[in-house]
Amino acid sequence: MTERPSDERDLVLAAQRGEREAFSELVRRHQRRAYSVARSIVTNHEDAEDAVQEAFLHAYKAIHRFLPDQAFGAWLHRIAANAALDATRRRKVRDADELPETVSSPFRDPAEGSELRRRLKDALDTLPERQRSVIVLHDVEGYKHAEIGKMLDIPEGTARSDLHYARSHLRRLLGAVRSGL
Amino acid sequence: MNDEMNGPALVRDDDELTSHLRAIVAPPVEDAYWNGLEQRIMARLETRLARGREENRWWALPARAYQFGLMAAGLTLIVAASVFLRERALERRMAYETVIETPAGQPQQVWARRGLVPDRQATLRAVTDH
Repeated sequence: MTERPSDERDLVLAAQRGEREAFSELVRRHQRRAYSVARSIVTNHEDAEDAVQEAFLHAYKAIHRFLPDQAFGAWLHRIAANAALDATRRRKVRDADELPETVSSPFRDPAEGSELRRRLKDALDTLPERQRSVIVLHDVEGYKHAEIGKMLDIPEGTARSDLHYARSHLRRLLGAVRSGL
Repeated sequence: MNDEMNGPALVRDDDELTSHLRAIVAPPVEDAYWNGLEQRIMARLETRLARGREENRWWALPARAYQFGLMAAGLTLIVAASVFLRERALERRMAYETVIETPAGQPQQVWARRGLVPDRQATLRAVTDH
């Protein structure tokens, strides 16, 4: 998770000097991973993309404080996780105030594929925010408990127990849906 | 990826669960999407930087006005101080004149008024000439 190309340090240094092309290259390299981190926390594609954009804007603003010898990816993923948590909070406020958005996205949500998947997605969305993030980051993205702990600012043991509860919940649902279909 | 506590049945369930989860949160695969996202991020960055420059310019104007105001205040202070000093000098001169204003003191007053001798010396002459 913390591997980085040898020239990444140079890119970071160049970005710290204000070279926009260097920062653009960092965006190119890290946006997919940042998206995955954000998507593990938010419940839809639009919020994940919004969180990724915000994360890079925050990263640019704070890049002069980043130590170039550290892993840029790990630093960015923490920022992305925070941006996603903010997006989730904003979404909750919006959903409480407004009607659901009707603007269609060019990106087709993969959860629309099958009945089972749709119901699993609903169940995933009803999980507590932290449990949902932990199960996706661990089982889908392959992060270790300690890395998840750092990213979400929770103890490693909490990440471990959240994973256990989230899996139990989704397994039960999976079993129920499978027997009902 | 799987919990070490799981038995074979749970591992199988978890494999299925993981594959569904992976499908649910799968990121877009098209390169066009990622190129577009990169462009959107950089465009937003440029907009924010431009806005930041505007705000700096907005702040720079009062800063210049502040400097100008400070200079004006300094000049006013200097002018006021010089006026005050001149006033005091004039008052002192008038005080001397009051002291030396005696019927027999005409010559000394003349010296003092003509500026032939300093005020203090004129006063001394007026006192010692008696």
